[in-house]
Amino acid sequence: MADRVSIADGEADTAVIAEYEVSRRALVRRGIAVGSLSLAAASVPALLRARNAFAQAGDDRAIIEKAVGLEQTAVFAYAAAVASGRLNAKSTAVARLFGGQEQEHADALTAALKTLGGTPPPKPTAPRDVPGMAAATGSARRILTFLIALEESAVAAYYDAHQKLKDAKLLSAGSAIMANEGQHLVVLRQALDLNPVPTAFATGKA
Amino acid sequence: MDVDRFLTSPGSRRAFFRSAGVGFAGGSAVLLAACGDDGDSETGPASGATPDVEILNSALDLENTAVAAYAAGAPRLTGAVRALGAQFLGQEREHAAALGQAIKQLGGTPTKPKAAYDFPEFKGQEDVLNFALDLEGTAVAAYIDALPKVSDPELRGTASAILTNEAEHISVLLGALGRPQVPSAFVIGGL
Repeated sequence: MADRVSIADGEADTAVIAEYEVSRRALVRRGIAVGSLSLAAASVPALLRARNAFAQAGDDRAIIEKAVGLEQTAVFAYAAAVASGRLNAKSTAVARLFGGQEQEHADALTAALKTLGGTPPPKPTAPRDVPGMAAATGSARRILTFLIALEESAVAAYYDAHQKLKDAKLLSAGSAIMANEGQHLVVLRQALDLNPVPTAFATGKA
Repeated sequence: MDVDRFLTSPGSRRAFFRSAGVGFAGGSAVLLAACGDDGDSETGPASGATPDVEILNSALDLENTAVAAYAAGAPRLTGAVRALGAQFLGQEREHAAALGQAIKQLGGTPTKPKAAYDFPEFKGQEDVLNFALDLEGTAVAAYIDALPKVSDPELRGTASAILTNEAEHISVLLGALGRPQVPSAFVIGGL
């Protein structure tokens, strides 16, 4: 990879790029520092099980069944966040929007699962059904931090799924969903003044 | 296909990855509902299909273009947007480096960046953001189309991590333009 870029119109000179790099490094440092603090406060260990959701899934049907479970969990978590009354108006609207999009994922994946002859797993009905959720209800910050951890676990799961899925159409659809979860992360991180895009490779494994 | 034509012509953009043997997909939700309805949907290249090196080199060409675009647009950005643009430039460089390394490991030769790119004139920050948005959307669409054609599972994982990063860039760019940051539940890119 070239470290320097030759620009035809000459507007991006060396000094500009150098300044650019300094500000980039500063931003990245800030993101890493704040992000680490945030993760330490979250109930992440309990979510590690979700990160490995596809580890034991051997075929496409098993992978999609796990994915439906993840999406149902996200729907439940966003609905709980909205109902908590802890979020401000802007974050409440965001949680409502994202919950609806997770439902779209769940619906599409459920349709695919049925086509494959599978059955959707049971939906969560209480916070205790979602690892780490019961402890993440005290404040808007704790709720948003939990949702970030949940979305990161989903990105990690889809990242793993891309290495296991056999069906090309499922793979493309999984990509479109994984990308959407990444976009959710951007907005949630911004709500907590975190670096919105902390890494170049979104593997969900911070 | 020449990258300059790809940038200036939407039709050419669609053809860009087709030239590498990668078809263009439609709405993913529809595709999901229809999955398993034919016998030609397995991942990896079919006989006579494009090898991973060619697909990765097409992706590298896009990444090199993105690097050049963010660098060219840098002087027009200000404040927090400038810092984010700098960060995105660095991340596109990381993508290009990773793809180049993968191509070498497969015995191929990475496509080199051009000496010059024929970008439109950026009169202000909004021009840069809109151009970057267009590039990122194209990249997402291209990666989603390319992924099922890649035979190596680990490379598919890497490609998914890159395309999700590009989707994250899109949300930031949309926000900077005052537009809804997550307009669709299925991110398939836009041309």
